[in-house]
Amino acid sequence: MTTPRGPQPFAGQEKRLRLLAFVRQDSVVRVDKRVEDTAMVWPHLLVIEFIAAMLWSIGLFVIAAAFNAPLQDHATPDCTPNPSKAPWYLLNLQELLLHMDKGLAGVVVPTVWLTFMAAIPYIDRSREGVGIYFTSANGKRITIFAAVFATVGTFSLILLDAFLKAHGYIEFATEHFPGGKQLLPNYLIPIGVMIGLSVLLVLIVQRLYAANTREWMIAVYTGFVAVYLVLTVVGTSMRGPGMDLFPPWAVPSTHQCLEPNI
Amino acid sequence: MLEIPAQIWQKTKTSYIWRSLFRHGYPDSRKNQSLAVFTNVFLHLHPVKVRRHALAIPYTWCMGGLSFFLFLILTLTGTLLMFYYHPSVDGVYNAYGDIKDLETVVVFGQLLRNMHRWAAHGMVITVFLHMIRVFYTGSYKPPREFNWVIGTLLFFFTILLSYTGYLLPWDQLAFWAVTVGYEIARATPFIGDEFSFVVFGGFQLGPNALLRFYVLHVVGLPLATGFLIAIHFWRIRKDGGITGPL
Ligand code: HEM
Repeated sequence: MTTPRGPQPFAGQEKRLRLLAFVRQDSVVRVDKRVEDTAMVWPHLLVIEFIAAMLWSIGLFVIAAAFNAPLQDHATPDCTPNPSKAPWYLLNLQELLLHMDKGLAGVVVPTVWLTFMAAIPYIDRSREGVGIYFTSANGKRITIFAAVFATVGTFSLILLDAFLKAHGYIEFATEHFPGGKQLLPNYLIPIGVMIGLSVLLVLIVQRLYAANTREWMIAVYTGFVAVYLVLTVVGTSMRGPGMDLFPPWAVPSTHQCLEPNI
Repeated sequence: MLEIPAQIWQKTKTSYIWRSLFRHGYPDSRKNQSLAVFTNVFLHLHPVKVRRHALAIPYTWCMGGLSFFLFLILTLTGTLLMFYYHPSVDGVYNAYGDIKDLETVVVFGQLLRNMHRWAAHGMVITVFLHMIRVFYTGSYKPPREFNWVIGTLLFFFTILLSYTGYLLPWDQLAFWAVTVGYEIARATPFIGDEFSFVVFGGFQLGPNALLRFYVLHVVGLPLATGFLIAIHFWRIRKDGGITGPL
């Protein structure tokens, strides 16, 4: 028997729909749809789409009728509200800014993260578990572990930072650290913590759960989602004037104009 | 008596004009259902058949579809808002005044503005949830690698769209929220000044920034996003529809 040339269908899916008679299908499309087990788009899918669109239209309409979009006074460059906050979906970055150099938190970290995220499919290439939530029972356990790990870790770091700052950390660093408060506190320590904790997470799940590539990827991604959410929540509901940390129920209201003595 | 409407309907359906519009009968047979989908420019985004699994709402949460739906709503309400908006900071017709007018003078202006605003927040949420479902179902795996990359870009553009829109009312909230971003842009390593100068049109937030954000918000970013969505959908088809257990 000769071995067939060119790309081969994925195992178990040799039987396929052929769309173009003269072009090898694998050279144009990579379909893993079997002939059986299908439903007509009209009406089955269209009905779902229609109902979803209607429900959302009504929902949006009700929300828009009930809640007004905010509008404050005319912009005045001389009057800085304290605190000034970005829109909520960027408050995670603004929260990150408080703990390291601005350019690092606001530009480098998101760029690195987006690049890493785009690269995920090129790192985790197996087709194991496609179409199954969390891939496996092990994947589910890893998801929960990583979520707890990242949530607790992030909260602790934020609290630690607030504690240290309240006890003269910045002054101490300025005097005693090589490179003052720039080099270590603003760059090296945060970079080390971010990379270190990610690597630690991967090592732990490999140890505890014998994680393969897909599974440690789940851990890293879950960690990202958890950190993202924690930073967003803290930035939105726990930061008051001076971007100081408050419990969510006791955040003082924003001072509309920054005055030196309040 | 009763046969009159039936006759009219029959006449209409066989008329020259009707048949120039629709080239198939009512979609109640497999053949006509197929024809309905692939002879209609809007429906032909879909294949004629999908895997039964793809219909399961617990699987997709409908989040991709709803992101697209919100994108359409935003395009529609946004275009209507453009009729009332001048991207300038002062003068007789200015951005802030226009928003005030929308709230007080324009019929249904407040509702229009609210819909645009809340749909924008909603889209950030739906896109995020969609990304999460795609990740956890492993739907970025071969052959869908590149569509995931397109998706990453879509996520980024969705945030940029929201952010540029945030400045447009030119109130205190807008101004200072965008100032936070401006400070970040200036802190970009090595090219901070050049980068922020290009994006914000100067060394402080002023009329140039408003104009740039406006143009990006109503032309540049929606076009880019629409373009990416088109590729995204095309790739879904070419990759064999959405994933399911093998
Ligand atoms: C404007 C934003 C977006 C729109 C309108 C959109 C729309 C859609 C739609 C309608 C689907 C079909 C299945 C479903 O509804 O789940 C889909 C699938 C998909 N999307 Fe998106 N999407 C967007 C953003 C993203 C993002 C941010 C990612 C990931 C980073 C992504 C990655 C994918 C992938 C890989 C598929 C194929 C999933 C599968 O085969 O199961 N998309 N998208």
